[in-house]
Amino acid sequence: MSELLSVRDLRVRYRVDGGMTTMLDRNRRSYVDVVHGVSLNVGRGETLAVVGESGSGKTTLAMALCGLAPVLDGEVCFDGAVLTRGKDRYLQPDRRRIALMFQDAVGSLSPRMTVRKLLGEPFRIHSGLSDDPDRSALELMSMVGLTTDFADRYPHQLSGGQARRVCLARALAQKPDLLIADEPTAGLDVSIQGEVLNLLSDLQQELGLGIMIITHNLNIVRHVAEQMAIMYLGRFLEQGRSDRIIQRPRHPYTAALLAANPSTNPDAVPERIELTGEVPSLLQRPTGCEFRTRCPRAQADCRVSFPARESLNGKQAWNCFHAL
Amino acid sequence: MTTPVLDIRDLSVSYHTDRGLLRALRHVNIQIQPGRIIGIVGESGCGKSTLIAAIIRLLAPNAQIDGGSVLFRRNDLLGLDPEDMRALRGDEISLVFQDPMTSLNPVMTIGRQMTNIQYRENRSKAQMLARATSLLERVGIADPAEQLKRYPHHLSGGMRQRVAIAMALMTEPALLIADEPTTALDATLEVQIIHRLQQLQRDFGCAILFISHHLGVIAELCDEVVVMYAGEVVESGTTRDVFLKARHPYTRKLLECDPARIEQATRNLPVIAGKLPDLVDIREGCVFRSRCDSSIDRCARQRPALDGGDHCAACHVAGQ
Repeated sequence: MSELLSVRDLRVRYRVDGGMTTMLDRNRRSYVDVVHGVSLNVGRGETLAVVGESGSGKTTLAMALCGLAPVLDGEVCFDGAVLTRGKDRYLQPDRRRIALMFQDAVGSLSPRMTVRKLLGEPFRIHSGLSDDPDRSALELMSMVGLTTDFADRYPHQLSGGQARRVCLARALAQKPDLLIADEPTAGLDVSIQGEVLNLLSDLQQELGLGIMIITHNLNIVRHVAEQMAIMYLGRFLEQGRSDRIIQRPRHPYTAALLAANPSTNPDAVPERIELTGEVPSLLQRPTGCEFRTRCPRAQADCRVSFPARESLNGKQAWNCFHAL
Repeated sequence: MTTPVLDIRDLSVSYHTDRGLLRALRHVNIQIQPGRIIGIVGESGCGKSTLIAAIIRLLAPNAQIDGGSVLFRRNDLLGLDPEDMRALRGDEISLVFQDPMTSLNPVMTIGRQMTNIQYRENRSKAQMLARATSLLERVGIADPAEQLKRYPHHLSGGMRQRVAIAMALMTEPALLIADEPTTALDATLEVQIIHRLQQLQRDFGCAILFISHHLGVIAELCDEVVVMYAGEVVESGTTRDVFLKARHPYTRKLLECDPARIEQATRNLPVIAGKLPDLVDIREGCVFRSRCDSSIDRCARQRPALDGGDHCAACHVAGQ
């Protein structure tokens, strides 16, 4: 499979202008590393799921890839071309070819534009995509399963699922090669969640899209993504083929996440891996392995250095001294 | 039979909209016994939020109560005057919201917020702080005295939510309403909160009304489940009965849709075909019939009532 997007050691650093406390306290760092050395590949027609809790840096990663957050260093290649241009600069990807579906679907649509206008907008911005924007807008609507009745509605007149469809249609309007979907099903009901994910899969097969899905819902990963990555405090602790990771996680955090997933069978006796402690703040990143403060397998060496990457036939890779 | 903490009888609520009267809740019956954890499952638009708002009497100005009663320890909350209701809110009945970042005040330290809400008690500042510290400890927050000096943005999402729970339990309420409290957390923190709630429920003995659309969380936490659809209760019973022997076609479909239940990886996830009925224009008969596979003629003519017993369903064709 040809690589569409390839990222090496990507870092995103935000400055924290902490005011008086930062000025007075010399030990306090005035920046946070939100994405801390992430490498990933997405091939054409392939889906990568990035899983992690809120605050782990998933959305910032997506933003950086779209040129909406500055990249401190690292290398990003898209379809063979290097996009990174030095330290702490915004990427300037070809915005037509990388599309982003924002997490807040309704919030990302202008409240003063009808669905028809919203879907026509990409054609006005990227000239040459369509000779007849109006007709193309209607075609997109049918592609994502919206009837023409919706054309004259405003975003506030749409349900969560319908708004997501409009966002997806807008993303597809620009005929992207890569679609980055930030929590495409967050806040959707299970019955509609399936619809949105099926639609993504169908369109992927039809158009050969590379997709990066950001989610904290582990249950959907196995159904939608061949590849997955587990993110914690800005790093990928484990990544590789979804079926392998789900069957046999190596990193203790992955194992805990998978074991924590509540089952709908009330009789199930889950074998939980109890995590203690709090999620550390990015401002006070623990030394060594960031997960050691909550890890049931942590030992003295974990505080010294961050474990090197270990890998199994290139299909599963993890960073842990005491892997399962 | 003990007196339920909360006894919702035949409650109907509508909203005035431009298109007419939107009938958000229709003839809802829910009972919560003391010390039980009741889960409400349902999709967006099923009336969960309206139900909470009606219980604590914080309905939007365009809402009207069409009938029914909300008995809290035999007192009808709907008939209380606003002063009495205010005294009850946050004292006997307290709430934990979905997003702790917006329910906590960002410009006040945790300690200040936790002492402020003790305004009803006749305690010294030091006693209030001690009470706040002990509650933070009980929700499992390490180094509580130190945390009291911090602001909400200093805390992680899981900690913020536990602070919100500690604040809700401060007054030892008889009823705790939790509205999707774990939606923003990852799975490890989600189970942490669930276990903490179970523990706290045993310690404080309060009843909990837990609202979520995460079926797994409900199955793990709750004693009983109420399934709502389009403003009606369609099934209720013990968690085991509802999840293992679902009777209403909607409940069964909802469970089938849960991707966690599907063993084989699939690119074709099940969905519930059709859409929610328009609540402004409710037709006769069963609300779910347009999406139901097993509907019969009678379903179009007659609205099925919730049948009796411990495990009840509102369906003409549901088997026992």
